[in-house]
Amino acid sequence: MLDDQEILDEFRVEAAEHLADIETELLTIESDGDEFDVDLVNKVFRGVHSIKGAAGFIGLNKINTLAHCLENLLNLMREKQLIPTPAHIEEMLQSADKLRLMINHVASSNETDIRDHVDALTAIAEGTKHEGTQPADNVNETETEPTPSLPPDGAQVAAPPRAVETPTVESKECSRQPEQVPLEATAQADSNSGSSEKQNDLQVIYDGQTRAHKRVAESSIRVPVDAIDHLMNLAGELVLSRNQLLQAMGSQEGAIDGVVARINQVTSELQDAIMQTRMQPIGTVFNRFTRVMRDLGNSLGKKCQIEIVGKEVELDKTIVEAIGDPLTHLVRNAVDHGIESESDRIAAGKPAIGSVHLCALHQSGKVRIEIADDGGGIDADNIRKKAVEKGLLTSEDAAALADRDAIRFIFQPGFSTAERLSDVSGRGVGMDVVKTNIEKLGGSVEVDSVLGTGTTISITLPLTLAIIPSLIVQSNGDRFAIPQVNIVELVRVRSDEHSDRLGRVGEADVLRLRGELLPLVALNQTLGSNSDSNRETSESLESFSHGAVNIVVVDTGQFRYGLVVEQLFDSEEIVVKPLGQHLSVCPCLSGATILGDGRVALILDVGGIAQFEKLRIVSVENVNSGPPGVDEEELDETHDVLVFRNHSAERFAISMGIVARIERIRTDQIDSVGGKNLLQYRGVSLPLICLEDHTSAKPRLESRHLFVIVFDVLGREVGLIAPTLEDIREVSGPVDTATLKEIGISGAMVIDDAATRIVDLFELAQCAEPAWFEHRTRLPNDVGADERSISETTILVAEDSGFFRKQVKKYLEESGFRVVEAEDGQMAWDLLLQGEDVHGVVTDVQMPNMTGFELSRHIKDHPELKTLPVIALTSLAGDEDIRKGEDAGVDDYQVKMDRERLISSVIRLTCNPRSRDSVFAATADDGLPNHSSETRL
Amino acid sequence: MSVTAEMTSTTEMVTFYVQDLLLGIPIRQVKEINRNVDVTRVPQAPEFVRGVVNLRGDVATVIDLSRVLGMGSCCINDASRNVVIQSDEHFNGLLVDRVADIVCVPDHMITPAPANVQGIEGRFFRGVYALERELVVILDLAEILPE
Repeated sequence: MLDDQEILDEFRVEAAEHLADIETELLTIESDGDEFDVDLVNKVFRGVHSIKGAAGFIGLNKINTLAHCLENLLNLMREKQLIPTPAHIEEMLQSADKLRLMINHVASSNETDIRDHVDALTAIAEGTKHEGTQPADNVNETETEPTPSLPPDGAQVAAPPRAVETPTVESKECSRQPEQVPLEATAQADSNSGSSEKQNDLQVIYDGQTRAHKRVAESSIRVPVDAIDHLMNLAGELVLSRNQLLQAMGSQEGAIDGVVARINQVTSELQDAIMQTRMQPIGTVFNRFTRVMRDLGNSLGKKCQIEIVGKEVELDKTIVEAIGDPLTHLVRNAVDHGIESESDRIAAGKPAIGSVHLCALHQSGKVRIEIADDGGGIDADNIRKKAVEKGLLTSEDAAALADRDAIRFIFQPGFSTAERLSDVSGRGVGMDVVKTNIEKLGGSVEVDSVLGTGTTISITLPLTLAIIPSLIVQSNGDRFAIPQVNIVELVRVRSDEHSDRLGRVGEADVLRLRGELLPLVALNQTLGSNSDSNRETSESLESFSHGAVNIVVVDTGQFRYGLVVEQLFDSEEIVVKPLGQHLSVCPCLSGATILGDGRVALILDVGGIAQFEKLRIVSVENVNSGPPGVDEEELDETHDVLVFRNHSAERFAISMGIVARIERIRTDQIDSVGGKNLLQYRGVSLPLICLEDHTSAKPRLESRHLFVIVFDVLGREVGLIAPTLEDIREVSGPVDTATLKEIGISGAMVIDDAATRIVDLFELAQCAEPAWFEHRTRLPNDVGADERSISETTILVAEDSGFFRKQVKKYLEESGFRVVEAEDGQMAWDLLLQGEDVHGVVTDVQMPNMTGFELSRHIKDHPELKTLPVIALTSLAGDEDIRKGEDAGVDDYQVKMDRERLISSVIRLTCNPRSRDSVFAATADDGLPNHSSETRL
Repeated sequence: MSVTAEMTSTTEMVTFYVQDLLLGIPIRQVKEINRNVDVTRVPQAPEFVRGVVNLRGDVATVIDLSRVLGMGSCCINDASRNVVIQSDEHFNGLLVDRVADIVCVPDHMITPAPANVQGIEGRFFRGVYALERELVVILDLAEILPE
């Protein structure tokens, strides 16, 4: 029968399912001691029992025997005849391991030696039958030969050759049956028969199982992964077709919109649903750690416990499967190297039992796993010493290294700080392997350690495999993706800076960047040349000697260089697709991906490009060109920022210039009064601002201590809570003010390879304490802002140019107005018709869909809106224009961009309606000098 | 199809033109024929690789069959097709100038290919089959797409 592979496979899958939770369950039983849960024992019993049955059925005798012995013990336990001791559980766990091993290698299972386990289990079973007279030395043979005391009805149970209880147990059971019935009835919900016979009892168990199976069958099915992969690809394709449809339909209007919208929605949902089918809870991996911890604690003689949070967090199946080993390594490390011995712990005033906290949580579209121990932490000095010993660092460099950076050295190959290699960890598999494996999954790993307090390792993983954020660039007219992990920063060299920043060292082009020289590679030249053809390396970067040059500074892991590209596009999350064997020869490519428009883009291998171009690190000494003083100039552009974390995963920075001082406080010093946080210190109370209250920052994690950054606003002191301070950094380069901009956050920049949001303390304070800013918004009384306070006034800004719209918005908001934005006249009009509560309109004149004049005409023709003041904003302000504007009902004309005039006009028109009648004439008189035909900003 | 094929021992061939050469491959080896010839060029790729295309979520390599056969580069026009070859792993497409008929070729009617056909090395061909008016040259995919 063994040759029927299908049955064997089926058995293996099912048996594995039965065994999946057995460890956790046995451990729970162990920890519950005398009060163990009979239901749980029943559950384990049923699992083992069906393995036994199936194994017997297909002739897997050894599996059958071992399962039988286990079942015996479990039976004793559920009868409460055996109260399991840790030693018992240990033996059962080992037997379960053996069982699993045999099930994984079904074919050879009958040759496996299980005598030790059988003996041990039998001995335990015998130990409980202290009054027993009959030795059960034949347990391991019982499955083949029914003993006389087997109830005769055993033959009636058809399929599995029934294992036989040892006679003593059997007889004992019989003697106890009267009491046993109620126990059974409560313990097992299915026990409707209240059976007093073993056979019925078994039957009940079978019933229970079928029922349980039915329930499972209703909610889940087994689907081959291939099928799901295929579905996923199709869903992806559907998304792309949808995108094309959207593009094609975007230009036309009408009934088709509804259809498009529906397809759009269905497609996205379909994609989500299909992705979902591959998701598995990380609990399947986490569960094993209860056991790992127990075994570790025993073998190392340390007392420790593990706390597991977030078992339900789901990840792609592939990732769940692959993360097991790295996690095991990290947990082992935590216990072996992290947790101190009991005596040391007590001496350090810590709880005798060490604890490891394993936690998974969702974070900005990724999953974060933290392994935190409360052990001794990592000694940065020790690491420095080792790094110097191993020749990784000079002692000067080591001394200059921040603790945090020093600790990162544990991820270097061959870097073990354990004083001696123990049995548990340090088996040649180092943290470098952990790091590599996690990075292979598209994740990252960080370490944070406080000496004496503990170590936290944080792993960030993508939800699904092979989706990597990448920057799309253009070269030779084709688009390429550069993985974001390789990108350090983007540099744009304007044409007038060429001579200062671009140089040539020997044969190589270089970029001067903050005193450093980076080799430059022109992507179009590299890609344009064939690997075997002779390349003219001496060709200089003449191709970009005109106009601005876009340089992507990339890091190969060994060194950095600049990649000159024609154009930069957006960042996209791309799905990596392999290239065929014919393209494996391309040294500069690592794969391909499909972009939003359905076209294929190739993924650049920055390491491959460096090798292909035979790049070397250029040292500053080699430079003999370039004007002196450039570096100093560039240094002038840098400024110091204080980098801190609110939630541990998000970095923020504040310009040091406005920081008055930094205080370290205890969390319990913060008083919450009327929804505001106040810090009582030095006899005064300092208002505190929490980032998460006003921005999209993640809430800070609970901690005993935190830092407060104190700064001055309008002569008052305010504190910003900054739970973890990282460093003070000298930064330069552009701040990305578009992507992460929000109130309180002026933008983001990359510091140490991590996106860091720049906090605008002023805006934040304005958000937190609007009352302080009231007086500022009151401008000089000659404009008479008294009818409606400015902060209650909303202005609709219609402007198609994003730059001007933002500018106007900024001016208005800085003056205290609320602003609603519209990208053209039509949008503004729609907003007004939708009842958007505005008190004035500032509009551009030339706009697509509806011009400013048309908008004005619409407003003035509308019965309710006609009193709404309209200010036209234009760069063209000739007499003719003003006349046209007057015809259209424009209340005032302002030239782009005279801030003062615009603001006073808005205030005059919106806050003091009485004076509106004469405004137009007044402005025409004094507003535009000579009514000049053209004025620009 | 397979039943008929076995009984009469014929092979259905997809035939197509590369320039004026009529070529054929067994239909079983073809996954699909599409018009997806708007390729993304792959820098540094061998000359016979025209580029890559998106094949419903997979990236397929498009091989310029004309180049492989040493007939110079082919020009893409409206009649150009991508003949995607069935494969377990990576999909390869053959860029052809025009797709012709599907013909049933009795196996015994296939004659060995001459040492060269129109100046093209014979190693690329499994044999030739005479249609009424012209010859179908049957490609040896193992030679065209070496592993």
